[in-house]
Amino acid sequence: MSDNQTKVKHSVRLCAASLLGMSVLLAGCDSGSKGSDAAKPVASAASIARGRYLATAADCISCHSEAGKGAFSGGYAIETPYGFIYGSNITPDKETGIGRYTRDDLYRVLHSGKRPNGSPLYPAMPYISYQLISREDSDAIYDYLMAQPAIKHANKPLGFGFPFNLRWSMLGWQLLYLHAPDFPPANSAETRRGAYLANGLAHCAECHTPRNVLGALKQDAFFKGAMIGRYEAPDITPAALSQRGWTQKDLAALLSSGLAPQGSAYADMFPAVHNSTRYLTPSDINSLVRYISGPNGLAAPAPVKAAALSDSVKHNGLKTYANLCANCHGFAGEGKPHVAPAMVGNSSLRLASAHNLLVTLLSGVAAQQFGTIESMQAMPGMPKQVSDQEVADLANTLRAQWGGQAPSVTADDVSKLRSSHAN
Amino acid sequence: MSLLHSRIQLQLNGKPVAVDAVPEDVSMVDFLREYLNMTGTRMSCGQGICHACVVIVDNPDGSSETVRSCITGAHFFNGKKVRTVEGHALVEAQTEAARLTALQDAFLKNYAFQCSYCTPGFVNEATVLLERLKLQPIAKNQVEQTITDALDSHLCRCTGYVRYFEAIKQVILATPGLVKE
Repeated sequence: MSDNQTKVKHSVRLCAASLLGMSVLLAGCDSGSKGSDAAKPVASAASIARGRYLATAADCISCHSEAGKGAFSGGYAIETPYGFIYGSNITPDKETGIGRYTRDDLYRVLHSGKRPNGSPLYPAMPYISYQLISREDSDAIYDYLMAQPAIKHANKPLGFGFPFNLRWSMLGWQLLYLHAPDFPPANSAETRRGAYLANGLAHCAECHTPRNVLGALKQDAFFKGAMIGRYEAPDITPAALSQRGWTQKDLAALLSSGLAPQGSAYADMFPAVHNSTRYLTPSDINSLVRYISGPNGLAAPAPVKAAALSDSVKHNGLKTYANLCANCHGFAGEGKPHVAPAMVGNSSLRLASAHNLLVTLLSGVAAQQFGTIESMQAMPGMPKQVSDQEVADLANTLRAQWGGQAPSVTADDVSKLRSSHAN
Repeated sequence: MSLLHSRIQLQLNGKPVAVDAVPEDVSMVDFLREYLNMTGTRMSCGQGICHACVVIVDNPDGSSETVRSCITGAHFFNGKKVRTVEGHALVEAQTEAARLTALQDAFLKNYAFQCSYCTPGFVNEATVLLERLKLQPIAKNQVEQTITDALDSHLCRCTGYVRYFEAIKQVILATPGLVKE
């Protein structure tokens, strides 16, 4: 951990500890506001179907399901700077799920980040974004969730250390930050729908916006990119998107299929596409893309202008590329259909930071099935015999040649990432 | 991307091999087959999935590992010690009679392979497994899971998996020092 990170963690601790004084200790259990089998409104098939679409757009399933367990039964580990937190069981099971919730209870969770007993949720649950969800849509999501099989699967305990494990301190956090964020405006009916999808249901900002030391979204930096787990969720402001070669058509392709000429959805964006955005209607995809592209749309992308690179770095980089990359990504970087994405025009190579490229080079990417016949095969991480300098030369060559980025990666950068991954 | 030609020098099945002016875009499987006439290593999926093409690399620290020759360039192996499926059996110099390894023998006895296309990969991977267990023996109750994990990535279109599995298990249990009592 760097000194800076240590400082940040330390100051977060102090702030969170002082917030404790503001928190109110309430007793009670999370049993639903009625706490009984009080007759629930009978959901119509139409409402359940609408709820299914909305719950999919909100991507509930990705964080509320653990591999191999039932859908929505919780257990998925979310890595945060404070430790691990686990998605909860949101099946209608009365003991371990939300079977005792009423429609009001779910609306309250989505809008005020509080359970029926008043205990606050950590903002890993994206209620800052979900506040935008309408009452009608919240009720439809409720109807859909209550129509799912009840699965008994106890929630996992929070993996945060002191003082972040003091759940009630989040009441103080909510006092500070629980208000509708000042998202970039939408100025037409179409972009208003897009804004509702992007900022509410799809909660794009939760990963793509940097957070302050207390984990709140920075209001002056919406969509400017942030570290999320081991990867950087890239800057998706209109200027940054067009700088990396994105067009509205290609963004729509990425969201609806997981693949675009600029590359495939990977890291945390893969489940977001796989479980959520690919099910959106073409009209909703279009609205979302129109909103993300800003009021003037994306500027026509400029072709990549290769950055200067020394002959020795280029020689070494191309040699490693030929040995370990080219048989799948193509000797001219053209990619191989259904195997590996093209490097020519690749969005990740055009990022200002080489972080995502290095993590990908070192750790590889798991095989991806895109839900159609389309797939990308597993990418192995760099073998340990490839030296830090060779990885740096490869990264610099790829970024300079196909990303137009200055060759700034050093062997030291690679070494640090390698040791942090080994731990 | 203009590619250079350069020399490859490596130790192959215990013997030094050197070829001048090999283009830098030649994959290892092509190098073995087209430049060295070593056709035991087979190009199968060409995408690093089926593992039929794996060869063994002997590391300086005494460990061994498999590397997929279809997605790895020949020049990656420059200066390394490599073994292919041709390198396992002991061949009598005068009569050219081959004495199979215990593993190869077990594969035959179990009729583990049918069309044989995936066999070089299974022989190499299982050999690496045996060598690993020699360095780090495992408990008897871990044998089955260890075989499954080690061979999991190898595909056999004739579905000879159970017979491969049984053959490897027999060899592990019959070879002294691989399993802790």
